[in-house]
Amino acid sequence: MTVVRYLNWLWREFKGEILVLPGRSILFFGAVALLALPLVFRHPYALRILTMASIFAIFAASWDLISGVVGQLSLGHAIFFGTAAYTSALLNLNAGLPPVVTIPLGALAAVVAGLAVGIPCLRLKGQYLSLATLAFPIILAGLVMVFSSVTGGELGVSGVTRLAPTRLKEYYVAVVAAIVLILAVWKITDSKVGIIFHAIREDEVAARASGINTPLYKVLAFCLSGLFAGLAGGLYAHYMRIAGPSTLSVLTSFQPIIWVIFGGIATIYGAVVGVFVLFPLVEVLRVAPELRMLLYAASIVLVLRFMPEGLAPWVIDRLERKCPRCKEHNAFTRRACRVCGTALRVPQEKGVPSGG
Amino acid sequence: MRRRIVTILVVLVLLSTMVMGFGAGCGLKYTKNVLKVGVAGPMQFIMGRHHWLGAQMAADEINKAGGVLIDGKKYRIDLVQIDTNELLSIDDAAAAIERAISVDKVNVLVGSIRTEAALVMQEIAMDNQTIFIVCGASHTALSVKVGADYERYKYWFRVTPINVGNLVKTSMILLNQVGATVRAQLGIAKPKVAVIIEKAVAGDPLAAAAQALIPTFGMEFVGLWRPSPNATDVTAELTAIRDSGANIIYTYFSGPAGVPYAKQWGELQIPAASVGINVEAQAKGFMQATNNMGNWEYTLNTMARVKITEKTIPYYDAFVERTGGLEFPTYNAGTYDAIYIWKEAIERANSIDPDAIVVEMEKTDFISSAGRIVFDTMHDVKWGPGFVTAVGTQWQDGELVACWPIDFYGVTYEGTVPYKLPPWMVPGG
Repeated sequence: MTVVRYLNWLWREFKGEILVLPGRSILFFGAVALLALPLVFRHPYALRILTMASIFAIFAASWDLISGVVGQLSLGHAIFFGTAAYTSALLNLNAGLPPVVTIPLGALAAVVAGLAVGIPCLRLKGQYLSLATLAFPIILAGLVMVFSSVTGGELGVSGVTRLAPTRLKEYYVAVVAAIVLILAVWKITDSKVGIIFHAIREDEVAARASGINTPLYKVLAFCLSGLFAGLAGGLYAHYMRIAGPSTLSVLTSFQPIIWVIFGGIATIYGAVVGVFVLFPLVEVLRVAPELRMLLYAASIVLVLRFMPEGLAPWVIDRLERKCPRCKEHNAFTRRACRVCGTALRVPQEKGVPSGG
Repeated sequence: MRRRIVTILVVLVLLSTMVMGFGAGCGLKYTKNVLKVGVAGPMQFIMGRHHWLGAQMAADEINKAGGVLIDGKKYRIDLVQIDTNELLSIDDAAAAIERAISVDKVNVLVGSIRTEAALVMQEIAMDNQTIFIVCGASHTALSVKVGADYERYKYWFRVTPINVGNLVKTSMILLNQVGATVRAQLGIAKPKVAVIIEKAVAGDPLAAAAQALIPTFGMEFVGLWRPSPNATDVTAELTAIRDSGANIIYTYFSGPAGVPYAKQWGELQIPAASVGINVEAQAKGFMQATNNMGNWEYTLNTMARVKITEKTIPYYDAFVERTGGLEFPTYNAGTYDAIYIWKEAIERANSIDPDAIVVEMEKTDFISSAGRIVFDTMHDVKWGPGFVTAVGTQWQDGELVACWPIDFYGVTYEGTVPYKLPPWMVPGG
C-alpha cells in the first residue's frame, strides 16, 4: 500500500509540476529521450556528439548562473573549466586516482579559482568586471606554459583514464551528470538564494539597501558557477583523455556565451537548448566545409534577429501564458490560471471589433 | 503575422537540416571495391590544403595505374576530406575523426598537424583499430605510446616529418655547417651565436639545448631572445643581437613571426648569418612576403628540388604544377608518400584487415620523395644517412636551393649547392 501511495504521489507531482507546463514537459521528455536513445540507436558518432553536448550543457548552465542570473558577465569562464580539467588530469596521471575522485577534486579546484576570481572582482561592475574576468584564463594559460614540465605546456596532459570503459557508459555518465547538475543549477536559481541572485542582477544597490550582503552572495555565485563549470571540465578531460591549453582558450570562454544567448539567457534551460541545437548544428554543417562557420554564424544571427530573447523563451512564449494576476505560467491551452483561477483569455464577443 | 511565419519557417528549416544531415550522415554504407582514405587536417589553412593536395596526387596516380590489387581484384581509392579545424578547436577535431571512422567508414587516416589534437585523434583511431598515419605533428609524445602499449597503439605510424628530437639534431648540424663557413671565410676561430626562438613551448627545450650545446661546438653563446610567435616587429631583438656582436643567429620560428624576422634581418643587414628552423621560409611566397629581403635565410626543410631520390623532382614539379605554380610542397604533402606506403602494405598483406596491414607496414622499406622510409620500433620514420635526413635550404638570389647534406656520412643529394654567407658579412661582398 505504501508503494501504491508513493506512486500515486509521484504521479500527482509529475502531473502537477511537469505535465502542467509545455516547456517543462518538453525538457522532461527530451531528457527521457536522451536516456532511452541508446536502446534504439547506438551510432558512435551520434553518441559522441550527444556526450559532448551534455558536458557542454553543464558548462553553459554554469555560465548562465553567474552571468545571466546574477548579472556578473564573465568573459573568462574557461578559467574554471581549464582549472578543473588540468587538476583532474594531473591527479589521475600522477596520483593514479580514478575519474570518480578526480572530477570532484577538479571541481573543488575550480571553486578555489572562483574565489580567486570573485574576490578581486567584487568592486568591479559592468564592462570592467567583464574585462577583468577575461584576464584570468590568459594568466593561467601563461602559467601552464611557464610550468610546462608539470602541465605539458602546449601538448597538455595526455594519457588520462577514460571516463568509463565503453562509449555507451561514457554517454550515460555524461547525460546523467548533465541532468542532475543542470537540475541542481536550476534549483539554486529557484531557491531563496536564487531570489537574491536575481535581485543582485536587477538592482544591486536596492538589494544591498535591503540588508543583503551582496559581496558575499556574489562570491558565492562565482564559487557555485566555478563548481559546475569545474565538473564539466573534469568530465571533459576524462572523456577527451587530454587536458590542454585549449581548455583555457578565449574560444572556450566565448562558446558558452554564444550558446546561452542563443538559447535564452538567465533561464538555465536556455543554455541547454542552445547547446543541444548549436553543437549538433556545427556537425551537420560539415556537409558544406567551406561555408560551415559562415552558415553557423548566419544561423545564429538569423535566429536572434527574429527571436532576440533567445530560442527557448520564444518557444515558451508561444506555448505558455503568464497569469496577469499571480504571474504563474500556464499552458497556452488553458482559459484560466491553474493557481489563482484568473481568466487568461477574454472570449471575443460577436460584432465587437477587436483592438482600440 | 508575417514575422511569425518567417520565424517558424527559419526554425523548421534549421531543425530539418539537422535531422537530415545527422540521419544521412549516420546511414552511409560501404561501397564495393573502394578503399576510403580519410585525409585529416585543417583544410582552411595551408597545412590541410597540402595534406589534401598530396593525397589527391597519390590517389589519382594509383587509380590511373589500375588501383590497389587485393586478392586479384582492383580497388579504387576514394579520398574523404576531413576538416579537423584542429588549429582552433580540439573537440571539432575529435568529432571530425569520429565521423570519418564511424560514418564515412574510412579504411585509413592520414594527416594531422597539431600535436594536442593529434593525441586526441590518435586515441579515437586506436579505439577503432583504424590505421592512422601522421603527416605533420612531430612530437615524440605520439610515438612513445607505441612503445608503451604496442597492442593498442600499433595502428599509428608517422611518415613525416622526422620527429622533434631529430629536427633539433639536424638544425644543430646546419648550425655547425654555418659555423664552419664563418671560420673559413671570416677567419673567426670561435663564432658568437645568438639564439632567437619564438615564445612557444615547442621552443623551450630547444632553447635549453642550444644554450647547452653551442659551447661544445667550439662557439660562444651570447644571448637568448624570445619574441612572440605572432610578433610583427622584431627590430628590438635584432638590434640587441647586432650589439651582442653575434656572427650567427640560430633561429626557431614555426609561425608568422618568421616573416618579419627575416625581412628586418635583411633590411637592417645584421652582420650575422641566420640559420635554424623558419617554417615561413619554406614557402614559395616567402620572398614576396619579405619584400625580397629574405635572401640568405637558411632553414631546415623536408625537401627541396634536388635529387633526394628518383621520385623527388618529378613529385616536386607535379605538386608545384598542381598549385598553379604558387606553392612548394611542405611536409604536410607527405600524405602522398603515406598513401603509397599504405597501398603497398595492403598489397603485400593481400588484405584490408588492419592487423595484417600493420604487420606489413612495419616491414616498409619505401623509396619516397623525401628519402628512404623505414619505420623504427615506435613506428616513427627513421632519420639518418641512407634514410630520411631532411635538407637545409637557403634562399639565394630569390631561389630556394638545397645546401645540405653535402658529404654527410657520404650523402650528398644531386643538385645541392654550397651554403653562402650573406654578402654584407663577407669583405668585398
